Amino acid sequence: MAVADQYVVKKQPVPKPTNYYTEPQWIDIEGVPTAYRRKGTGETLVFLHGAGMTRMWTPFYEELSKSFDVIAPEHPGFGETPMPHWLRNFDDVVQHYHEFFRKLGLTTLNLVGYSLGGWIAAEYATFYPDSIASLTLITPAGLRAEKPADVDLFRVGPELGMYLFNDPAKAADVVPPDTLDEMAFLYGEGTTLARLMWTPRYNLALPRRLNRVTAPALVVRAADDRLIPDDIAVRYRRALPNSRDLVIPGTGHALVHEEPRLVAEAIGRFVKEHHA
Amino acid sequence: MNALDFYAFNTIHYPYLPPPDERTSQWVTLSNKYFDPRLGYKTYTEQLAISAAAEKFGYDGTLVNEHHATAWGIQPAPNLSAMHIVANTSHIPVGIIGNALPLHSNPVRVAEEIAMLDVVSGGRIISGFVVGTGMEYYSQPVSPAYARERFWEAHDLIIKAWTEDGPFVWEGEHYHIPSVNPWPRPMQQPHPPIWIPGIGSKDTIRKCVEKQYMYMTVFSPQWLVQQMFDEYRAISEELGFERNPKKLAVAVMIYVAETDEQAHREAKAHMQWLYNTGLQHPQHYHSPPGYTTPQGFKATMSVRGNITAQPLLSYEELIRDRYIIVGSPQTVAEILHEEYVGKLGVGGVICSGTWGPMPQWMAFKGMQLMAEEVMPLFREADGLPDYRKKPPLIPDSYAARAAQFGAPDYPPMTRVDGLEKPVLNRESHVPEIIDPSRSRKEPATV
Repeated sequence: MAVADQYVVKKQPVPKPTNYYTEPQWIDIEGVPTAYRRKGTGETLVFLHGAGMTRMWTPFYEELSKSFDVIAPEHPGFGETPMPHWLRNFDDVVQHYHEFFRKLGLTTLNLVGYSLGGWIAAEYATFYPDSIASLTLITPAGLRAEKPADVDLFRVGPELGMYLFNDPAKAADVVPPDTLDEMAFLYGEGTTLARLMWTPRYNLALPRRLNRVTAPALVVRAADDRLIPDDIAVRYRRALPNSRDLVIPGTGHALVHEEPRLVAEAIGRFVKEHHA
Repeated sequence: MNALDFYAFNTIHYPYLPPPDERTSQWVTLSNKYFDPRLGYKTYTEQLAISAAAEKFGYDGTLVNEHHATAWGIQPAPNLSAMHIVANTSHIPVGIIGNALPLHSNPVRVAEEIAMLDVVSGGRIISGFVVGTGMEYYSQPVSPAYARERFWEAHDLIIKAWTEDGPFVWEGEHYHIPSVNPWPRPMQQPHPPIWIPGIGSKDTIRKCVEKQYMYMTVFSPQWLVQQMFDEYRAISEELGFERNPKKLAVAVMIYVAETDEQAHREAKAHMQWLYNTGLQHPQHYHSPPGYTTPQGFKATMSVRGNITAQPLLSYEELIRDRYIIVGSPQTVAEILHEEYVGKLGVGGVICSGTWGPMPQWMAFKGMQLMAEEVMPLFREADGLPDYRKKPPLIPDSYAARAAQFGAPDYPPMTRVDGLEKPVLNRESHVPEIIDPSRSRKEPATV
């Protein structure tokens, strides 16, 4: 079925990070030109990114691709995938990915989500639990913690790095240079984030719904997450009936960039164990 | 018509704060533990008195604004201030530069409050509509990413609520109101004048031209005001509107004293509080994600060199770029004549009030000099503001109302137990009128 013109969006030019930028592949998802990067052999694994560090084939992806056929799409309104004006809620994103997976012929998923992507993956799994072969959530957002975060992620501004990383030097290469174009681009990605999760910053229905996700699940926690309360990860682990968790030592919220190899290996062991 | 209208403007700054170096922001994060209600009483009563006094000085209007979670303006409910000023004045237009429409979960509440104010004031309300600064959004359950959409949808809903008979259903993108039927409706027809402040968005300028609303600039250096007005002129020509100076106003704070030197002596510290101490906030607080577009973000960064509406400025910069005007009546009058009436072609300046720690007596002194030695130079011979040259929408005496309007279409009537027919309430307590067997008193004639 052709999509009505009013829902169609056009590609927009984006600044290209100097490190790790790669040209994406493109697929049209109901009028949204959707960018994704794919590399590696073995089991297919889908990675849903967080609210930043887009447009790159990062060292973390490279590590994952040593063991998996990695598909890393960019969410609507992030990276090179333009923001559809109709995008408002997580169910819009979930529906978008359902069609994306259908078009790529993926019937069962090893789904991995980091931070914002963790929230999306969790939502997806509650709507389509039968399609989940394994679910990995890395420092995920989306639940209400016992205590609110110490910091408002929409208000941290230039100090964001202090909250993302325990050791900013470790991940300096994945932070694009601070040009005016890059700042405006990140402002656009922030806008998508503000559409999805300015208020509320949690889905109170998720803990109950996660009970239907019976596939094996792994929750990867940071040793010291300063951006998103670690309690959220703990609550995911409790809400997912077939789950365990793992703490990566010496890391902050952006552990996939701080310790790409350790995180990729942990995911590798977890997924392979359940396919053995 | 007068050459230039003068408006008083009241933010209600709360200046009783710990020394500036001890904190990084006067907005969002400055704890309200520093708000002392006793000093709040002093602040509100003194500053609202200045707003009301604008009438006796002869200003063309007196304005209040809206901010949240900041000592810079402790006026989160500006309609309350407006009602206070209405009650303490008789004729002067009262403007609310609130209301921050996107922050409301039901914009009909704004329609109701403004209509109520407009009726109680006898049709004196100027209804500003604002998006609010980016800083307001951190304390609101409203994403800044929907601010513009909500602003214009709320605008459309309010205008419809004021101009079409209710009840009607509103089924919008952001608002669904099952029955829109505000009581009261406004006094001014079709609705109170709308003012919209801008800091340069072309979309806002275009809307103001299309609808012929007042476009007012805030916190902008004069060179940027000039750019905005050039844009306004171009859009007016494109859309076939004659540019009307009375649809444009510039917010530029003015302080007048006996001599230039004396004016600077009196105003300097207070103006620097107003623009630096009181407005201090991290730049990025001003533009939370989605508050503007990425293109707008980039344009603002390119033009202003930062994303906030208000960088920290030296006193010399404040004067040079005409954020403020400080001087003798002669100096101020020359600047207003040459640069504002002349070069900018603007019909109104939003210029007077009290600023942060400025004592009330000093604000009154400045306003009296402004009223007596500057305003008359921009007025017709009678020295009256334009609004005094039109009859009021409603006479303020019982006698004049009775004479001009007569009886209402529907005089109140009630079915009263024990009587066969409904009675007019105004006579219901007079037995000889409601009982036809008794003699009836005829209305008096002369």
